[in-house]
Amino acid sequence: AELHLIGQIVGASGFPSSSLFCKWGIHTGSAWKLLSGLREGQTQVDHPQLGDVAYWSHPIDVHFATKGLQGWPKLHVQVWHQDPFGRRELYGYGFCHVPCSPGWHALACVTWQPLGSWQERLSQLFVGGGPQLLNSDLIYTGADRYRLQTVAAGTVHLELGVLLRHFARYGVEC
Amino acid sequence: MAAAAATPTVFLLMVNGQIESAQGLEEGISQITSKNRDAQQALVWNFPIDITFKSTNPSGWPQIVVSVYGPDLFGNDVVRGYGAVHVPFTPGSHRRTIPMFVPESTSKLQKITSWLMGRHPEFTDPKVVAQGEGREVITVRSQGFVTISFNVVTKDMKKLGYDVSPSDMHSVSLTDGIHNH
Repeated sequence: AELHLIGQIVGASGFPSSSLFCKWGIHTGSAWKLLSGLREGQTQVDHPQLGDVAYWSHPIDVHFATKGLQGWPKLHVQVWHQDPFGRRELYGYGFCHVPCSPGWHALACVTWQPLGSWQERLSQLFVGGGPQLLNSDLIYTGADRYRLQTVAAGTVHLELGVLLRHFARYGVEC
Repeated sequence: MAAAAATPTVFLLMVNGQIESAQGLEEGISQITSKNRDAQQALVWNFPIDITFKSTNPSGWPQIVVSVYGPDLFGNDVVRGYGAVHVPFTPGSHRRTIPMFVPESTSKLQKITSWLMGRHPEFTDPKVVAQGEGREVITVRSQGFVTISFNVVTKDMKKLGYDVSPSDMHSVSLTDGIHNH
């Protein structure tokens, strides 16, 4: 069975500043194999002229083949801010599962930001640069999350088209 | 194809060449349009797109790349925005509003120089807009939107086993699959 993911990362909104870029990736289980396309990437840096929504229009075109349903693809994002001096700081982590039904979907992926101690938050207010995850697997896995304290961040908007092939042949209903 | 601009300036497009029949042309240039003073602040091109593609693999699904040009303060033709969107793959009528962005230099001095000289950074190949690689080094300024309406017809996608909408999916027993395919 095959899955095509054809769409784009449209942009992001709800962050404290709009000069943003996004690092994205698609994580799948071991039964899935990437046939063509890039499974990770980084968008351009956008400075919106009007409004506070950053637009990237970053195209995604990946082709997977799978032998099983476990490990359905997850798209994870990291939203970063670039200030006029060129420094980069993290604004949010988020992930969403690739939709299971074929067709065109507009997704809003919510993000969160790790929260440090009050001293770290105070210095973040003046100097910027808060805590970041050491292991970015935590964005899309559930293990060991209880140690993390986070605060809600903005939303990443995605438009994903899902094309499935031969799933009905194996009796899969989606 | 209509466009809604963010700022109330005149947006122009280069007029070049006559498109006699737009059957299957992969690129085109529209007319030059400007905003109507009393109606809503929209720019209308109404540009026809009529093209047929064939393939054996949905990878690399076609994208439409739009580049908008217009005059700046001194009358030079500069790029006003690039945008791209995948052509929808479900048959039917679709409308997509895509954001436009302009490449920007990162240094302030270069911004002032390019504003004075009328030479702004632009992509040498607009296809960069349709690709995901190499975008991490680009800084852009997003401004404006372009609306495109699509009517899509597909042939034999179901026959090759592709499901493009939830109504295509139906539960088939394993023996049925062996007989039909």
